[in-house]
Amino acid sequence: MSKKIVLILMLSLSLFAYDATVEIVKKIDSLPRIAIQDASDTGVNLNLRKKFYKILLGDLRVSANFKPLDEYLQSSYDGGVGENFLSKKNVDLILRFKLETDGKSLLAHVKLITASTGDVKNETNYKLPNLNRFPFLAHRIIVNVNDLIGAPSIKWMEQFVIFSKLIGKKESEIVVSDYTLSFQRVVVKGGLNLFPQWANATQDQFYYSSYNGYRPTLYKVDLSNGQRTKILSSNGMLVCSDVSKDGRKLLLTMAPNDQTDIYLYNVVDKQLRRITKYPGIDVSGKFIDNDKRMVFISDRLGYPNIFAKDLNGDTSVEQMVYHGKNNSSVSANGNYIVYSSRENSSEFGRNVFNLYLISTNTDYIRQLTANGKNLYPRFAEDEDTILFIKEYKNQSSLGIIRLSANKSFLFPLKVGKIQSIDW
Amino acid sequence: MKKMVLASVSVAVLLFTGCSQKNPDVDMTTKNQKIEKVSDANQNGSNSSSMTSNNMDANTMAQQKENAMKSLISDLEQKLQPVYFDFDKYSIKDSMKPVVQNDSNLLNGDKAQKLSIKIEGNCDEWGTDEYNYALGLKRAKTVKDELSAEGVNANRMMIISYGKSNPTCTEHTKACWAKNRRADFKLLP
Repeated sequence: MSKKIVLILMLSLSLFAYDATVEIVKKIDSLPRIAIQDASDTGVNLNLRKKFYKILLGDLRVSANFKPLDEYLQSSYDGGVGENFLSKKNVDLILRFKLETDGKSLLAHVKLITASTGDVKNETNYKLPNLNRFPFLAHRIIVNVNDLIGAPSIKWMEQFVIFSKLIGKKESEIVVSDYTLSFQRVVVKGGLNLFPQWANATQDQFYYSSYNGYRPTLYKVDLSNGQRTKILSSNGMLVCSDVSKDGRKLLLTMAPNDQTDIYLYNVVDKQLRRITKYPGIDVSGKFIDNDKRMVFISDRLGYPNIFAKDLNGDTSVEQMVYHGKNNSSVSANGNYIVYSSRENSSEFGRNVFNLYLISTNTDYIRQLTANGKNLYPRFAEDEDTILFIKEYKNQSSLGIIRLSANKSFLFPLKVGKIQSIDW
Repeated sequence: MKKMVLASVSVAVLLFTGCSQKNPDVDMTTKNQKIEKVSDANQNGSNSSSMTSNNMDANTMAQQKENAMKSLISDLEQKLQPVYFDFDKYSIKDSMKPVVQNDSNLLNGDKAQKLSIKIEGNCDEWGTDEYNYALGLKRAKTVKDELSAEGVNANRMMIISYGKSNPTCTEHTKACWAKNRRADFKLLP
């Protein structure tokens, strides 16, 4: 009897295993309320302190694991009775920071205080050698605070974003930034440099396509020493669409004979294998299912749509999406696939592109956006977070969708026209 | 009590080096171009000091030839007309067939025969990243095939796509988008 109960319980648990394609519409609201206090000396630039505070506040909100108090508070670092309890503010936790800088480096003393007792739960000191990178320090603090309360990991906040932005005709730059675009650094400039793609999980190398020579050429750049290595070149177009988890294989879109197809390139033995052979358009191969299959965009039905294919040489192709007439952008992580679909008709106007989420394990489709032009969806490393670009009412934003929390956040985009993005 | 609480707090000093290795400053394209230009200048400088009158005549003739070639290319490029496409399409519409015919006549002309042809496919701001580049390439390929059918030697032609990174019009209007959905030509000696 007890065995039967255990079996039923196990089956029930597997039935209710987390599926991101299913939208959670009701959630018990029990998030800890948290206040941020700035305890920096008045000698520290107020602009820096306020920027730091805003990033902390934004991160807490985007984490979806806290309910932050939207008020800039100042305090002493040791704190008095009124500062440690904040009884009038009705908060559970206090995040107190004190910044020190010599103009080059940054030191942050950080305390997490239980507001009901005034007890210091944790104190950590952070030293950042380069002051300009302070947004990453703010992200690190929130990642640690999040871990301290035992909430689901938000480590993705420390990921670097890399994007190409168009700055003129046949001219673009490749920029590395944090996920809020608060920190930005141009890493490739001069001419037309496109489709940057991180080469490994540590994000210290990336691939990009240079359209400056006779043929488009794929390069790999090592950020630690600035060394650039030529991988290969192709007529027509050349894009590194995805990198396998172990960094050994690339899915490339190339047109060596004027025909765009997807190729699998082995970085170690430099073998190149053509994966698709359709005479129309096949692009944007993304690894799925433990890098054994790929999803890709093809116009084999007369319009761009999402398909999947084994990488073992099997010629069969599976259609993944059965709605929309222009599904031309896709990203994948594990079993999950997010894509952008142009709606045929919509109350919001004709040119609406919405994001949808599907899984290779289920038949559910989850709509993630409702208005505007939502493009370039890209998964974070934890497959619970999606980054995308939104254009709505002449405003461009960088969007973050937290799937499990069913929330999305927008950051104003002031970088010009983005050509391609990866993180 | 407060002292006890503080004493139990672990004070971790974390040297934050998570992104210290991201120290790019990569400007290789520009740097390489500069190096090439410097070496060219040095070569010209050293040659000029030992230049003979024969060399000068040869250089003058070479310069004249180069100028004539530039002029021919410029003249032909102005006469060649872009081929425009419908939204999300890469087939040549009927209204564009006379344009391709005119372009093929120019490219088959005696003077143009010695030139290589680069056909550049372009797109409007709609569509996204890779697909847009593939669409641009298809447009260039369609024009190449059509010109080939009209007698232009396929070996003279190469195609490339610039997606939406080479617009001729930057307004957000239908008329402007239509101008950007095109294949146009660059001639090479």
